[in-house]
Amino acid sequence: MRKDAPAKMTLLQVDRLTKHFGGLAAVHDVSFHVGEREIVSLIGPNGAGKTTIFNLVSGVYRPNSGDIRLGGESIAGLRPFDICRKGVGRTFQIMQPFPKMTVLENVVTGALFGRKPKVSMKTAEGEAVELCRLVGLGDKLKAFPKNLTVPDQKRIEIARALAVRPKLLLLDEVMSGLTPTETDEAIRLVLKLRETGATILLIEHVMKVVMGISDRVVVLHHGEKISEGPPFLVVDDPKVIEAYLGKMVDGEDEPAC
Amino acid sequence: MGSSIRWKTTLPLAILCAFLLLFPKLVGSYFLHLAVSGILAMILASSWDILARTGQVSVGQAGLFGIGAYSSALLYQRYALPPVLGMLAGALIATFVSIFLGYLTLRLRGIYFSITTIAFAEALTVIWLMTPDITGGAMGVSTPPLFGGDREKAYYLILAILAAVVAVVWLIEQSRLNFAFTAIRENEDVANVLGINPTKYKVLAFMISAFFTGFAGGFYSHYNTYIIPYEVFNLGVSIACLVMPIFGGLYTIAGPILGTVLIKAIEEYLRVTFSYGHQIAYGLILVLVVLFMPEGLLGLWRGKILPLFRSRPGR
Repeated sequence: MRKDAPAKMTLLQVDRLTKHFGGLAAVHDVSFHVGEREIVSLIGPNGAGKTTIFNLVSGVYRPNSGDIRLGGESIAGLRPFDICRKGVGRTFQIMQPFPKMTVLENVVTGALFGRKPKVSMKTAEGEAVELCRLVGLGDKLKAFPKNLTVPDQKRIEIARALAVRPKLLLLDEVMSGLTPTETDEAIRLVLKLRETGATILLIEHVMKVVMGISDRVVVLHHGEKISEGPPFLVVDDPKVIEAYLGKMVDGEDEPAC
Repeated sequence: MGSSIRWKTTLPLAILCAFLLLFPKLVGSYFLHLAVSGILAMILASSWDILARTGQVSVGQAGLFGIGAYSSALLYQRYALPPVLGMLAGALIATFVSIFLGYLTLRLRGIYFSITTIAFAEALTVIWLMTPDITGGAMGVSTPPLFGGDREKAYYLILAILAAVVAVVWLIEQSRLNFAFTAIRENEDVANVLGINPTKYKVLAFMISAFFTGFAGGFYSHYNTYIIPYEVFNLGVSIACLVMPIFGGLYTIAGPILGTVLIKAIEEYLRVTFSYGHQIAYGLILVLVVLFMPEGLLGLWRGKILPLFRSRPGR
């Protein structure tokens, strides 16, 4: 069942990507791809290198070796703002809205600078209002982030990432810390985004989400890819079970499934 | 409701403008001189605040001020360039220097940028002292009085420059630059991921800041008729540039201006009361403001004083 040859056009191709921090190989020789309109999940125990991969793809870090291609064009080593304008939007694991800006202003910022060609202030504001409605912040446009709940702050993150009109959307643990009801809402939102044609790479710990919405799953452990495939196959992979159960015996991590 | 708010802001503004335009007719030479140096300080404070909007604290504005002052004075001395053109040339030269300096240093953040700006201004003093043939060295440069000593004309010129600074800041606030500056100030990494090139916008802010600081320097040299390196490149000038906006309220149009009015008033009072009093006041004000009113006078007004009136029953 493995999709080694993607049926759809490949949007993101990560090739033998490696990133060291001093002696630590945070990401080692990792390759995977995301097809257009696909939802791919990156999973793995804490410290597996998931967020490092996001930081490499979005340009926050430069890879030591390997290549990252977006629609066939190499983006490895470009600066974050260039990569953003080429069509990569991302959220942050720890929510980082601009505190002194309103919800709307946060989203407008993404719409104003994140794309090529540039749009006018008026267009940006109109689109930002639409996006706020889409993620469920339509009645909180003038609110400041600090006065909002955790799920609403995550909504700002998503709306702001969408405002750059990304070809590829990177969602870093947008569902963690949510109640089951809130998680269901978030899943519906992601599926709604998929209907509009978005391609999504997400990092997620909540297995219900991973199983429910991913087309494919890439499993990382100690910075290396240990498994890849459709979710129902990956959870039965002995290497994946070992990685997670091994952690459980150490008592350092919660069982993920 | 919209029109009443508009009315409430336009009327006081119109009165203020009329007052500023008529000011020279109402007061004597001493107060006119005070007003000129006050407005000069307002320009420096507002220019500093433009760069501060991107989160960068410059402690080297004296460098740009001195470059503007010397460019203008030396161009007059060597090539008899008319003073107003000289000020413009000083402003442009300071802008040019800021591009160079900005691209070198604005990749640095926070305290590291601040330190390089101090070094920049201090280095200029040394360079000036070492090259007396070109710069006049420790002897300084003197020029004839601006407009033949007509303080009224000087007042209107400096007022026009202030108006230009305020207009530019207002335009920034209305434009996308405001979003870029604020985003970079609040979280540079996130701004970067959202498509904002932080270095580019920081350099742009620095250029605008340098232009007006250089212009003010040029005005100062002609108005004062005499400049020396120890004075125009002095750390005190740089400190004054940042104390006034911090006191008045950062990232606002009125904050730096209001802060300057009050600090200049305190300074002038203390100067005549006891020696060095104004310098002690600078330090005290800075410490008190940072400790007790981090958002400055405007923040104090909006946060503490205005609500007292609003929350009154029956309003």
